[in-house]
Amino acid sequence: MDYKYIEQLLDRYFEAETTLKEEQILKAFFEQSEEELPESLRQYKPLFAAMEQDETLGDDFDARLLEMTEEKMLVKARIISLSDRIRPLMRAAAVVAILLTLSTALNQSFKEDKVWADESDYALRYEPTGNEPAMAYDQVNTDSVKSDSLYKPSGYFE
Amino acid sequence: MKKISFRTDVLPLKNELFRVALRITLNREDAEDVVQETMIRVWNKREQWEQIESIEAFCTTICRNLALDKTKRASNQDASLDDEGHDAPDHSYGANPEEQAVQRDKVERVRTLMNHLPEKQRTCMQLRDVEGKSYKEIAAVMDITEQQVKVNIFRARQTIKQEFLKQEQYGL
Repeated sequence: MDYKYIEQLLDRYFEAETTLKEEQILKAFFEQSEEELPESLRQYKPLFAAMEQDETLGDDFDARLLEMTEEKMLVKARIISLSDRIRPLMRAAAVVAILLTLSTALNQSFKEDKVWADESDYALRYEPTGNEPAMAYDQVNTDSVKSDSLYKPSGYFE
Repeated sequence: MKKISFRTDVLPLKNELFRVALRITLNREDAEDVVQETMIRVWNKREQWEQIESIEAFCTTICRNLALDKTKRASNQDASLDDEGHDAPDHSYGANPEEQAVQRDKVERVRTLMNHLPEKQRTCMQLRDVEGKSYKEIAAVMDITEQQVKVNIFRARQTIKQEFLKQEQYGL
């Protein structure tokens, strides 16, 4: 088998002239077991085997980090949501207040309409009584005459 | 631009960030701390996520800087930290005659060589050869030019190849 291509890649690899793709080809090539590799290339296997991504962090790290970041923010969000929770109540109260004001205002204007209606009826419903101004005036005059004679104490100025 | 979610876009980067941090700190606990700190920093900047071109590059940059800080602090406290952890496994594996163990031993030696590279070369190699990043992405993460990335990768590959083949030759 001809390994010219791999040898060429390898030379370029050590000159830092290979592309990422070519480096992947080299990595894949050297994943073969030692016996399968030609003797001249066998010695390079550990150089590529050492570049594996085998050191990792456990899931407990994720849990710890999330507790320190996103979940902490959830608690904060809950504090914000308290005032948010009050806001709809405030809105409802405001709506109720507006409705109350409107209804009282409407009631008031209806009542006023009624009062005016009563007053405009007044002339039609008028029936002459003994309280008419002219008669009243006469009554007062006669009364005062009477009272003059009645209440004037005799010999008051003596 | 698409909406970024912490759970689906940031958290899954943990393993990649962990490997980058591990390559710099050379210590699992420190690397895990660095990833955690990175994620919290990224989370705290969530208002700016929409303006970030690549959240992955953004996370990796923060992760690398935090890892560098950590090693700087660690080396102040204990200068021999680097050498202590990494020579020991060589001998225990070397005594094992089985083929698989020999292979594992060789891989371990390559990793040890990699860990002894200067940090820039080490991180460039990690991002390229392990994580499969383009020169452009690596340049953005490390804040250097693509040409400098290439030079670092070139030197890293050359050093590892030469050192590893030398060890093989002398039967170390």
